[in-house]
Amino acid sequence: MTMKGMDWEMYLIKDIPIMFRPDALGMLFFILTALMWVMNLIFSIEYMNKEKHKLRYYCFYTLSLLSMTGICMAGNLITMYMFYELMAVVTLPLVLHEQSREAIEAGKKYIFYSMGGAFMGLAGFFFAYYYCNTLDFIPGGGLNVSKLAGNEKAMYVVVLLVIIGFGSKAGLFPLHGWLPSAHPVAPSPASAFLSGNITKMGVFAIVRYLYYIVGVDFLRGSFVHYIFIGLTMFTIIMGSMMAYKEQNMKKRLAYSTVSQVSYALFGFALFNRIGFTGGILHVIFHSFAKNALFEVAGAVIHNTGLKKCSDYKNLSRKMPVSMWCFTLASLTLVGIPPTSAFLSKWYLAQGALDLEIRVVSWLGPVFLIISALLTAGYLLSISLKAFFPGDEYDYPSVEKRKISIYMLLPMLLLSAGAVVMGIFAEPILRIAKLIAGSLL
Amino acid sequence: MLMALTIGPMLGGVMAYIIGKKNKKARDYFASAVTIIEMGLLIYCSGLYLTGKNMFFTQKDLCGLGISLKLDGFRIILGVVAAFMWTMTTIFSKEYMAHYPRTNRYYLFFLITLGATVGVFLSADLFTTFLFFEIMSFTSYTWVAHDETKESLRAAETYLCVAVIGGMVMLMGLFLLYNMTGTLRMDELHEAVNYAIVLSPDNKLKTYVAGGCILFGFGAKAGMFPLHIWLPKAHPVAPAPASALLSGILTKSGIFGIIVISAEMFLYDYNWGMLILILGVITMFLGALLGIFSINIKRTLACSSMSQIGFILVGIGMQGLLGEENSLAIRGTVLHMINHSMIKLVLFICAGIIYMNIHELDLNKIRGFGKGKKLLMIAFLVGGLSISGIPMFSGYVSKTLLHESIVEFINIATPDMYGKFKFVEVIFLVTGGMTLAYMTKLFVAVFVEEGEKVPEERSKTSRYMNGQSSLALLLSVLVLFGLGTGPYRIMDNLAKMALPFMKGKSMGIYVDYYSFTNLKGSIISIVLGVNIYYFIIRKFLMRTDEDGKRIYVNMWPEWLDIENLIYRPVLQHIIPFVMALILRVFDRFADHVIYVLKSTLFKEVEPRRPLLYGNIFTHVVGGFIDRMVDLINNIFRKDTPVKENYEKKLALSIGHIIKTSRLTARSVSFGLLMFSIGCIFTLVYLVMVLLLHIT
Repeated sequence: MTMKGMDWEMYLIKDIPIMFRPDALGMLFFILTALMWVMNLIFSIEYMNKEKHKLRYYCFYTLSLLSMTGICMAGNLITMYMFYELMAVVTLPLVLHEQSREAIEAGKKYIFYSMGGAFMGLAGFFFAYYYCNTLDFIPGGGLNVSKLAGNEKAMYVVVLLVIIGFGSKAGLFPLHGWLPSAHPVAPSPASAFLSGNITKMGVFAIVRYLYYIVGVDFLRGSFVHYIFIGLTMFTIIMGSMMAYKEQNMKKRLAYSTVSQVSYALFGFALFNRIGFTGGILHVIFHSFAKNALFEVAGAVIHNTGLKKCSDYKNLSRKMPVSMWCFTLASLTLVGIPPTSAFLSKWYLAQGALDLEIRVVSWLGPVFLIISALLTAGYLLSISLKAFFPGDEYDYPSVEKRKISIYMLLPMLLLSAGAVVMGIFAEPILRIAKLIAGSLL
Repeated sequence: MLMALTIGPMLGGVMAYIIGKKNKKARDYFASAVTIIEMGLLIYCSGLYLTGKNMFFTQKDLCGLGISLKLDGFRIILGVVAAFMWTMTTIFSKEYMAHYPRTNRYYLFFLITLGATVGVFLSADLFTTFLFFEIMSFTSYTWVAHDETKESLRAAETYLCVAVIGGMVMLMGLFLLYNMTGTLRMDELHEAVNYAIVLSPDNKLKTYVAGGCILFGFGAKAGMFPLHIWLPKAHPVAPAPASALLSGILTKSGIFGIIVISAEMFLYDYNWGMLILILGVITMFLGALLGIFSINIKRTLACSSMSQIGFILVGIGMQGLLGEENSLAIRGTVLHMINHSMIKLVLFICAGIIYMNIHELDLNKIRGFGKGKKLLMIAFLVGGLSISGIPMFSGYVSKTLLHESIVEFINIATPDMYGKFKFVEVIFLVTGGMTLAYMTKLFVAVFVEEGEKVPEERSKTSRYMNGQSSLALLLSVLVLFGLGTGPYRIMDNLAKMALPFMKGKSMGIYVDYYSFTNLKGSIISIVLGVNIYYFIIRKFLMRTDEDGKRIYVNMWPEWLDIENLIYRPVLQHIIPFVMALILRVFDRFADHVIYVLKSTLFKEVEPRRPLLYGNIFTHVVGGFIDRMVDLINNIFRKDTPVKENYEKKLALSIGHIIKTSRLTARSVSFGLLMFSIGCIFTLVYLVMVLLLHIT
């Protein structure tokens, strides 16, 4: 589904072309990003009222959309890489926003991980430049096998480096460390965007490199394939477990992101059609749910100043609508039907079971299930406490907080979207299957 | 049409919530109307089905995997029973919930659960079952937690944990099943599983794993051992109408699922039948045992539910074992499901009436409440006799059929199985006796024994329930009694309707329910029950207190609780602790690597600062002395620390020494110089004199 006539090509230097060519996958990620961007923008209107340096915030917030648009629309690896680095730079001020000691530490960590990851990706870029026929994104990849002959091992290692490097943005173990530091300090809409969409750019970059540059046929069955699957599975469990043990709300959500984004990566790591479909679906659904969750956390911080998970007790009396959104989004992340993420989990598990590697094909779904249980443990427990605090809480004395429509609207839309997309999943499912079908 | 049966009540719940914000009374009537309409629609649909119309609904696009609903004999029975129970409990709720807070929430979830439960029973593929099953689990959570007391929240937590874990394990089973067969449609499943097994023998093991996972999920809801833990805890704390539904019909949704996989995936499978049978026997016996020990009326009823579920599971197990000749077991299973639902409806409404009046459930406190309350007594008696399997009541028929199915298997069993199944039969009869014993315990406590002190105003008012509640109770009792009066006319026909669902071939042999052989089992149970009551309950489970009164005591050891003993510690503490410990190391892995690198390889080198005073010697020695002094200050002289900077002092004094010595040295050398100059002059003078002298 390339859109002829929309290609736009220029040469930076003679050999370095900057090219934009949106395809179905890129457009999907772009639409998702833009949608979430708008939602968080609406949310920011009210949220940022209390904050300083509004102009700076909005400026870099917009620039981050620019950079992400560039990544999504990029037609070749060079362009994508350029915007990828730009994204790390322009999102840094969002993390630094509070200018507190913590924020600066977190910002340093963020930029270190981002840059470190991107440089690992650069290795893959160099190899691809040398061994591939073209750096344009073409389904199936343009690896020149005859040229590579004899150097497969090196290429495998480089692909692994790329996965780990770009995986740092996606919160993939071992370079996931920046998420739990950066999310709690950034303003809530920014952390929502970081968590819901910027991590997805890491996923997108990995997908582009594996499926459009190297080609999965080259990788299938190699040790990179195993390690990739292993890493994602490990991250799924690790993120959930850490979230389960975490008491700071936004940190908990950050760990949850670590785990959930790896669900999507797990799907892409399977290298089969069903898994890929599941991966795409999970990218979309997680984005909806996680943005909603972060916005609720933001609304709570904005209106009451509460940051700990234990503070959410009895909160449904103060902020009923917000807590309903929280519950719906939580149910989505746990994957309770008919909410949407159930569907993506279904496809992921089916994809895993279709795999020839016996251990993975069994362990994968088991890990998904365990992680879902942990997700229930760390998210549903909060909404249960909010709605059922116990009889010692005197209900009439609690007054309802008036919450601005700018806050309610995006979170309502997102959490409702997360559920409704599960019930009327057909259009999204069809698109996901279409993309998966064009690649595998 | 079928979709409306499930979505309708859900929307009704939301509307009831909205109406309830304005007017509580209108909401109560509205909720009753919704349930009655639901029942009417179901009966109408059943009529359509029985006249030959194919009642099937499928929508491939919905919820990603497609939803399909279907109506057939067995589903009609379960659906109508569910709708009837809901109608009765809704009517009863009006009075029962009158003084409760947060009734809006109660009705909202009450009606949504109705829709979900009907959805489970009508589902024609396992995904649809799972979908509605999960909705049902979550919405019924609110019932258990409704009071929001400490116990109810804890019980609700247990309930939800069991439901969520059960649901997820079941999902795992569905993953495997779908991956193997490519379908979850119930009518295709049987062929698909067989085909998969034919295709590759490995799949046999896979079916067992998948089946086991699905059984885990459904069993958790049914209250099957060892997942029964939520049952005895959730029922006493939930509002009575909700307990009636939880125990009477929500457990049946689990049974429904177990029947589906037994009949579709493991038809006539010996191993599977054995597994279900063993679990059933344990559940049956353990439930009855807990029931005998319990001194809380609703807890006893809950344990009784567990025990009856065990009976039903025995029936399902026998279906698998008996192979094609399993019609007796099928009939027993179906009828016991119906009977148990109706019995528990009646009994829990009775318990609810007691609680509504005196707000107590402890047998010692509710003693003698029922004296002189005729309707209550009759209702309780009918329920109690029925569940104990006394001839002339409905429970007798189903228990006899189940018993017959065991006897049938004993007759065809190989010698080595003979003893084992004799044992099963004995347990079956003993459990029947225990059922009678704990029901007698309840009945005697409430209706026969003298009460302690009935509050004045309570004893005066003869009306212990209002008209509508009486109506609900009366209707339930009439239906229950009616079932019992017509074993051939009503019950056999009901069983016949359900046969095709469980792949029963025919009605099997004609059973004369009142022949001696069949009455014998019941008589054995009765004799056992009476003995258990007199010689165990009255002897060992009651004690004389200070006032010389016999009171009921709970002799069940406190620590012997599989939930507190194993599940909670393991799931809440041990596993998370160990996992978190290991995973935290990995979580910080990259950070640690960076930290190590930072403090070794990439350590920032500090530029040399010029010394402020002194030289390198004084810096080292003085610094060393300072550290030592700090150490001494910290350890020995905390109160009067030495505040001297020895480095500076040393540097200064050494500087002083150097300065002075330099001065001194200078003065000495000057003196020497002068001396030398003096000497030179003297020498020059001497030389000059010498030269002059010579010349």
